[in-house]
Formats: sequence, structure tokens, C-alpha cells
Amino acid sequence: MTHIRLASLAVLAAAALAACSSTPPQNTMLDLARSDYSTAQADVQTRTLAPAELKQAADALALAEASLARDDRMAQVDQLAYLARQRVALAREAADRKASEAVVAEATAARDRMRLAARTREADDATQAAASARRDAAASQQQSAAAQQQAALAQQQAAASRQQAGDAERRSQALEAQLRELDAKKTDRGLVITIGDVLFDTDQSELKSGGLRSIERLGSFLMEYPQRKAMIEGYTDSVGSDSHNQALSGRRADAVRTALVGMGVGSAQLLAQGYGESHPVAGNDSASGRQMNRRVEIVLSDENGVITPR
Amino acid sequence: MNNAPHFTYRRGSVRAALGLTLVAAVLVLGACATSVPPPTSQMAVANAALAHAVGAGSAELAPVEMAMARDKMSRANLALAAEKNEEALALAQQAQLDAQLAEAKAEAVKARKSAFALQEANRALREEMARQPR
Repeated sequence: MTHIRLASLAVLAAAALAACSSTPPQNTMLDLARSDYSTAQADVQTRTLAPAELKQAADALALAEASLARDDRMAQVDQLAYLARQRVALAREAADRKASEAVVAEATAARDRMRLAARTREADDATQAAASARRDAAASQQQSAAAQQQAALAQQQAAASRQQAGDAERRSQALEAQLRELDAKKTDRGLVITIGDVLFDTDQSELKSGGLRSIERLGSFLMEYPQRKAMIEGYTDSVGSDSHNQALSGRRADAVRTALVGMGVGSAQLLAQGYGESHPVAGNDSASGRQMNRRVEIVLSDENGVITPR
Repeated sequence: MNNAPHFTYRRGSVRAALGLTLVAAVLVLGACATSVPPPTSQMAVANAALAHAVGAGSAELAPVEMAMARDKMSRANLALAAEKNEEALALAQQAQLDAQLAEAKAEAVKARKSAFALQEANRALREEMARQPR
């Protein structure tokens, strides 16, 4: 009996000892850890961007390997292998994050470059617009200066015209006054001054002093308006023969003309013509009528020197 | 020699040697289970790693890894309560690395989303600038 108990006790003891420590030739979790690590190590992104984390994973893997080599319990090797696998995964996540951060950095730089380009373009556009606006402003300033000059000129011209108009007005008023003084009448032939009987004695062609005042006034007028011409026409009543009256009226017209020239009127301004008994203005059967027919008519030209002939 | 509670030494040295072997076996077995002190510092480190991972948004961004870490931590607590210190230590070590991995994955996801968003924004900006009349 003691031998059997001894043997079974020994087996129990051995089993107990065996259960407490195992030396497996390999460990599945460690295989996985090795495979994870070599995959991560082969990945360029992980190797380049997370070398520190990858080193930590390598150290953890080494611990697990050493544990296996020491014949540690499976649970211990499993534990270390698991931790090594988690460290490999950490390295991959770190590399992934850093890769995205690099993209963020480049995209931020690209965005800043684009914004700068946009702002530069805006600034250039604004500068061009400002330059263009300045040119426009300068041009319109020039235009407005020119316009101002023109306006000033126009004002000067207007003043001159007003002056001229005023002068013309004054001259025409003066002229009208003079013509009124001369008692010039408007007819269809133009302005006609009729000087009546006072100029000459009966049958005479010598000017009397009573008529001289009218002649003087006419002379002053003609000298002031040298462009005006005067047609001096002599008329008689019907007393006496036609030829006699024709000659007389002609001589009287000439006398007036000579008197005017003597005053200073240009001879080119004057024409003298006798019309005898013709063109009576009243009936010759009464004394008053005959007196009216005995006259000198002076027809004044218009301002251009044109006399409408009878 | 008198420390084995169930044996009385009446027979010779052979029994004594066997007893010693069994005692030694029990002691070795006991050593496998209880020679490690309570792993309080490792558990504190693991808890800190979990909290840190939560702060990084790992619960939403790396839910699987986070669940694993939490599960390991609660098993570590149970082991500690049952005075299985070596088991508690091992689980706490695993929980720590699981939490670190969850956090690393969450950070990677966030960085990837930022990169994508920026690239999209740049594409839109490029199109906008190309559209503008000169």
C-alpha cells in the first residue's frame, strides 16, 4: 500500500508543479504580436511618422520575447504579448493622426496663400480703380476748368453784346430823335424830309436863311451817318411852264446839295434831281395847295445807302 | 517539521519528504495567486488613462476600444476585491493600454475630419475665386 500511495502522491506533486509553470515551445498571442509589429514596421507612414511609438512597441515585444525565453507562465507571456500588440496599434494611430495633421498644415497654408492672392487681387483692382478714378477726376477737372473758361468768355461776350446792344439802342434812339427833329416821314420810298416854301423866294433858287436851319440839321445827320445817302428832289407848283419849272426845281435841288456839301457832307452821299410840276402833293387850284407843292423832298436811304427810286 | 496541520509524524522520513513536496506545491500554487501586493498605483494609472480618453471624446469616436478598456477595468476591480492581485494587476495594465489606444484612435479621427473639412473649404474657395469676374 505505501508504494502505491507514494507513486500517486508523486504524480500529484508533479502535476501540481507542472500546473504552476509551463514552457510552451511557442505562444499564439506572441506570434500575433510579432506579425503586427513587422507589418507596422514595413509601413512607410508608420515608420516615418511614429518612430518613437514604434520603438516603444519594439521594446514591449522584446519583453514578451524574453518572457517566453525564460519559460515564464503562458499567462505572463500572453500578457506581455497583448501589451506589445496594443503598443503597435498605438504607433499606427499616432502615424495616422500625424499624417492628417500634415494635411491640415498644408491645407491651411494653401488657404492662406489663396486668401493672400485674393486680397492682393482686390488691392490691385482697388489701386487700378483709384488710379482710374483719379484720371477721371483730373479729366473732369480739366473739362470743368475749360467749361469755366468758356463760361467766363461767354459772359464777357454777353457783356460786350449788351454793351453793343446798349450802344446800338442809344444810337438808334439818338437816330430816332434826330429823325424826329428832321421831321422825316416814313413813306414807301423810305424816310422823306419835306422842306417847304421857306427855302426859296418865288422863282428863285437861292437858299434863304429861314431854310438854313433845316439844311444844317440834315447836314449834321448825314455827316454823322455817312453810310446814309440823300436824294434831293425839287418840286414846283404848276404856275409857269413845264420846262421852266423843271429847270427851276433842278436848280433848287442843286442849291440844297451845294449847301450840304459846303457844310461838309460828302458829295458822294448826295444826289440832286428836279421834278418840276410832276408829283404834286396837293391840288394846284388853291393857294395853299400850290404852296404845298412848292417843296424840296429829301429822301434818305436806309442804313446801307439804298434809295428806292421813284 | 511540525507546520503541516494534517500530518502527525509517526512513520519515517519518506512521508515527511512527500509532505514537504505537497506543501511546496501548495505554496508554489499559492505563490502564483497571492505573492503580488494589491496593484493600487497601477489601477490609479489605468483609471487616469480612462478618464483622459473620455476627455478626448473616445466614447463617441472609438466606442469599441473604449468599451474594451472599461470592461477590463471593471474586471480588474472585481479581481482586486477578490484579492486576486496578480490578475487585477494584469487587467489594469491591459485597461491602461486599451484606454490609451482608444484615445489615440479618437485623435486620429478628429485629425482626419479636420483635414477633410479644410480640403473641402479650399476647394470651395478655389471655385469661388475662379468664378469671380476680373
